[in-house]
Amino acid sequence: MLISLRRRLLLVAGVVVLVFLGLTGGVLDQAFRQSLERAEADRLLGVVYTILAAANLEQDKLALPAELPDARLSTPASGLYAMVLGTAGPEWRSPSLLAKSWQPDLRLQAGETRSYRTSAASGSLHALAYGLSWEDAFGRQAAFTIHVAEEPAGYQAQLAAFRASLWGWLGAAAVALLIAQVLVLHWSLHPLTAVARDLRDIELGRAEELRGRYPLEIAGLIRGLNRLLKSERERTARYRDTLANLAHSLKTPLTVLRTALESGHIEQAEALEQVDRIDASVQYQLRRAAASGHLLLSAPLPVAPVLERVLRTLAKAYYDKTLQVESICAPATTFPGSEGDLMELLGNLLDNAHKWALNHIRIHAEPLADGLGLLLVVEDDGPGIDPAKAEALLARGVRADEQVPGHGIGLAVVADLVAGINGRLQIERSDLGGARFRVELPGW
Amino acid sequence: MRILIVEDEPSLRQQLLSRLEAAGHVVDAAPDGEEGLYLGREYPVDLAIIDLGLPKLPGIELIGQLRAAGRAFPILVLTARDRWQDKVEGLEAGADDYLVKPFQMEELLARVNALLRRAAGWTQSVLEAGPIRLDPRSQTVTVSGQPIDLTAFEYRLLEYLMFEAGKVVSKADIVERLYNEDEERDSNTIEVFIGRLRKKLDPDNSLLPIETLRGRGYRFTLC
Repeated sequence: MLISLRRRLLLVAGVVVLVFLGLTGGVLDQAFRQSLERAEADRLLGVVYTILAAANLEQDKLALPAELPDARLSTPASGLYAMVLGTAGPEWRSPSLLAKSWQPDLRLQAGETRSYRTSAASGSLHALAYGLSWEDAFGRQAAFTIHVAEEPAGYQAQLAAFRASLWGWLGAAAVALLIAQVLVLHWSLHPLTAVARDLRDIELGRAEELRGRYPLEIAGLIRGLNRLLKSERERTARYRDTLANLAHSLKTPLTVLRTALESGHIEQAEALEQVDRIDASVQYQLRRAAASGHLLLSAPLPVAPVLERVLRTLAKAYYDKTLQVESICAPATTFPGSEGDLMELLGNLLDNAHKWALNHIRIHAEPLADGLGLLLVVEDDGPGIDPAKAEALLARGVRADEQVPGHGIGLAVVADLVAGINGRLQIERSDLGGARFRVELPGW
Repeated sequence: MRILIVEDEPSLRQQLLSRLEAAGHVVDAAPDGEEGLYLGREYPVDLAIIDLGLPKLPGIELIGQLRAAGRAFPILVLTARDRWQDKVEGLEAGADDYLVKPFQMEELLARVNALLRRAAGWTQSVLEAGPIRLDPRSQTVTVSGQPIDLTAFEYRLLEYLMFEAGKVVSKADIVERLYNEDEERDSNTIEVFIGRLRKKLDPDNSLLPIETLRGRGYRFTLC
């Protein structure tokens, strides 16, 4: 069994939400860290400036007062450290560095600043180096690099707090989105569950068709299913009728035969007549039942090639009759049903025409006015059909033993077929002199 | 004429065989498509009657293979299925006519005669050549309106010659078509029958309907 639709959609939605929120979180995290680092560098630069403000140049060396502007620089292991590198080496270390073994050796040009990370024995430090050149009263230049470092505890605490709230909110959003997705899915797929339920009702015989109201996307499917169900029901009914009629029309001649055989005196002519009746019944009922008469799920069938095949076949069968066959089939003329049914329709009508025509047959096929459907007219110059007989021919469900003599079962089959497609069959008089069959079949 | 029957139902095959033999034909019968194909390819068949629902090789395919092998004799199809689709497909496969079971023997014989006539190029149901008139339905022959009394064999011989009118027919052709397997086959008696036929049709030698081509056979020359 395939993964259910619900699971597929949830799986995809879950993956999309995770990837999307993950990326969002990553980008936000990155941006926040960068802004923290920038703030830190600004702070450290501020410390550099306060040191510079307090410093004096004494004999080419920077001298700082014992009382520093930032108390943290004076308190050992306070977390804020500073150091001044002269050309010869460290010239000043802040008292806070008392127990620390921090030995930066980076020297920068005047005006350069650089942020960097370092790790001292007691842990990592976020540091900033600042290069400057100091001119004394005699115009001599002295180059220094001031290093300022801060322990990252505060930075890490801020980052951790930000991350906790960021991922917390993102997680909550993911859960909310997935829950919404589940609800949407449940709501969207509900009609399918309803179809399954309706179908089960049909199976159990509680309903004849899918009755619920369905959304646009599957309304077409439901209509198709209902049509299929209806035509299946009709077909079953037709087969049942056929069997009942067949049984009815076979039993009488069988009874006659059996009685005659049992009594011992049987007339050959009488027996043959009963056999003929049985034969006619079987042929008629089977052919009626065979015409499928429904047009579901079949593409409209082009009429011209089938018409041509049937005419070729008939030309072979009626080779000894010289008939003028005039056949006009408009382009794009289609039949709303199966090839077998179209052959049955054309075969029976044209066979009838070939049988009765003296010299001339005329066939005309074109789409109905709406562009769909089929209008078929078959005419001959034979004796024609008496209107009273025509009416009897058109009555549906005529049993074999009630058939109109002279017009085999072919025309009754045509009448059945046309009625099965909700079409119309008219029998008129042709201006050729004989019968004119006019068939109108609606498209869909 | 020589007729091939391919029909799997034994009693129907037997009925067809005896009716066609009684009508003066030489009959080969096969119970399935493969044997039918063999007989149809190897023997000088004039017409085949083929059932569509055959074991081993379906009738439609049998017809297709016979036609593909270049056999052009007329084929009459028998079938229990009478949908137009089957009819059209049967005739498109190469059959010439179509008979739906159950049928009457008279109908079958009429169709067989019609197909044989048609294959021989006769469009009328009665064969007429000069004053000679042969009616296959009643199996009677008249010359200038006078009925001629022919034996069954003489009638079959004349019918065959008239079907093949204008063509040379060898003694072997005649033996193959007019003698059944169990009849005594002696091609010398053909000369005797031809002689009798000439005498009956043309007692005063004014028509000369049958020409003898020495060493090759006979030809019906009237038309």
